[in-house]
Amino acid sequence: MMNKGKTAEKRNLGIPLLTAAVIWLAVFFTLYLNYTYSLPLLAVIVIAILTLEKKGIIDRTYIACIKERKLFFLAVLIGALLLPLALSGKPYALHIGVLVCVYAILALGLNFQMGSADMVNFAPAAFFGIGAYTTGVLTMKLGISPWLGVMIAAAITCVLGGFVGAPTLRTKGYYLSLVTMALQLIFSLVIVNIKAVGGPNGMPGLPGFTIGSFSFHQAHDFLGLRLPYQANYLYLALLLLAVLLFVAYRVNLSSKGLALNNIGQDEVVAGCLGININKEKLFAFCIGGAFCGIAGAFYGHYMSFVGPDDYDFSKSLMIICMVILGGMDNPLGVAVGAFLLIGVNEKLRDFADYQMLIYGLILMIALLLRPQGLLPKRVRNYELIFHKKASISHDKKDETVLSVSE
Amino acid sequence: MELLGNGSFLIEQLMNAIMLGCIYTLVAVGFSLFFGVLDVVVFCSGDIAVFGTFSLMGAYMIFETAGLTSMLPTPVWMMLLMGVAAILCAGLGVFTYLSSIRPFEKSSSLMPLLSTIALGVVIREAIGLFFPLGRNPQRFPRLIPNGSFGGHALLSYRNVTIICVTFLVLLAVFFFLRKSKMGNAMQAMAQNKRLAAISGINIRSVAITTFVLGGLLLSVAGFLIGAYYGTVRFDNGSLYGIKGFSAAVVGGLSNVYGAIIGGMLLAFIEVFVSILPGGAAYASAVAFIVVVIFMVAKPEGILGEKTVEKV
Repeated sequence: MMNKGKTAEKRNLGIPLLTAAVIWLAVFFTLYLNYTYSLPLLAVIVIAILTLEKKGIIDRTYIACIKERKLFFLAVLIGALLLPLALSGKPYALHIGVLVCVYAILALGLNFQMGSADMVNFAPAAFFGIGAYTTGVLTMKLGISPWLGVMIAAAITCVLGGFVGAPTLRTKGYYLSLVTMALQLIFSLVIVNIKAVGGPNGMPGLPGFTIGSFSFHQAHDFLGLRLPYQANYLYLALLLLAVLLFVAYRVNLSSKGLALNNIGQDEVVAGCLGININKEKLFAFCIGGAFCGIAGAFYGHYMSFVGPDDYDFSKSLMIICMVILGGMDNPLGVAVGAFLLIGVNEKLRDFADYQMLIYGLILMIALLLRPQGLLPKRVRNYELIFHKKASISHDKKDETVLSVSE
Repeated sequence: MELLGNGSFLIEQLMNAIMLGCIYTLVAVGFSLFFGVLDVVVFCSGDIAVFGTFSLMGAYMIFETAGLTSMLPTPVWMMLLMGVAAILCAGLGVFTYLSSIRPFEKSSSLMPLLSTIALGVVIREAIGLFFPLGRNPQRFPRLIPNGSFGGHALLSYRNVTIICVTFLVLLAVFFFLRKSKMGNAMQAMAQNKRLAAISGINIRSVAITTFVLGGLLLSVAGFLIGAYYGTVRFDNGSLYGIKGFSAAVVGGLSNVYGAIIGGMLLAFIEVFVSILPGGAAYASAVAFIVVVIFMVAKPEGILGEKTVEKV
């Protein structure tokens, strides 16, 4: 299929394959090795990203990968399928992998507000928690399927995102930050006092996902390998992340993404250009809330436990850090940020006392040295992305026009 | 209705609210000062205050082992103690400015907020790690003797000290801002930074003085926190930070008088919700709900000026 290229332009098949291989190898070794090797490796990854970014190699690689997107995505898919198999001997490494995916989804959700529209929402962990508690109550008290629980959690957090967004429409900047901060604290304070959901002890025993007789919560044998149950969840989490990353990219490229950018840069100008500011802001809160809700529901079923500690203010800060460190308004960068910070966080578990200190120092240094993030946002290249489709479909054409007006 | 019948109980709670309000007020005045002069939210203010509490305790421990507390008369070593804490807090304030505010002068207003949050985490964790047994709740030494004026429980030395100290410190800050040259320079800078610079005001030194003053204020807040609660935890700082910030915003950021109103309001809500049956667990939550309602209904705060956006 790949050899069908009949165009005159030179095709470069090596770069996409190499890129996919390098990405997955880096992910594999970071997860697989223990902290003595993986922390230096993470540092090397950061330095490599910075150097490549400076030399413009990342941009060129990106273009090469998008040109050969079928091949690239196939290579990425193969890597994703192999990763849990390669890590099958290390349940904890698999667990970190699942965590990375969950937090990447959370960071993607926050990115709609913080990255795109410059509205710092300090309450992503509250939505994360609401998603988890919603599905926890529904599956344990009402006995519905976990799959349905995730969907209902997404719907509820989406609506709640709107409710939270509505009062914040009147506020801006610091005030918006304070309102969301207060909402996060209210959530933490109230959830601890509700006896029905276990109060400070949380709710144990959430059911795991099942498809027919296949239970995600059991170890399975595959090709002679014993896959611990975390491997099943890693597959599921990677799938979820891929779908939501795609959604985030499409929103970012759409007129909504452009409108949000415009609001973030100058609200008055956005209003004058005819952008419905309230509608777009609410949209950012709703879709961001839904992302966090999905992540929360998934996390709840994966851990089979929902407790208040996982959704407090410090987790919100962590998600904010991921967005900043990775690169605001760049979905892929945000996912990289989640990977790096969760990697550091989990590998430092042996030094639990120093964990937060190092965390704070990393954030301070990152802000000082590279405030725009590791992978800053790019000018949208519609020409490249919609090259083939532009001539076929009309709505894609509109977006190409939009890119010119930007 | 037995609550109302027992008059002294209510008055006791009133006293509690005033003292809690004093703490919130001092932190909130710190926020307003920083925001007024430099247009930044210094989110680690609460942590600087708790750092003050811990440096008081640390200095007391050193004084005690060195035998200073028995050698010198009480007022002298008390003054020394406060001086040590004040200097350390002022130093931390300047460090905050140099590490988390000044590098971001030209970038978006978001960056100082985040970098001070990060610095707050670092301060908090550093206290927890480097103070002896810092992760456990610490007992604050009895710096104020037991007993009361005229044998009246409400007028215990502790209560009177807290209220008097707050009053005097606030008075000193206002006089400094109104009468001294540096205070006037700060006000000029608060109104228009460029014009202040053009008029020959050294912006750097004004900024640093602001942080020294803020650090001193917060060290007093730290002393009050220790004296009021008796025990402190290393991670209390973030809570005081958020409460102080809320108080400052409710009162109207950048207005120092507003900070007093906001701090008292927040403390009263909290104390009087907590004496309702079953209310203790929800006291903070109700206070934050009031903050949210306030922000939505009157985002500029009680005494703040409404800003109109012009094209």
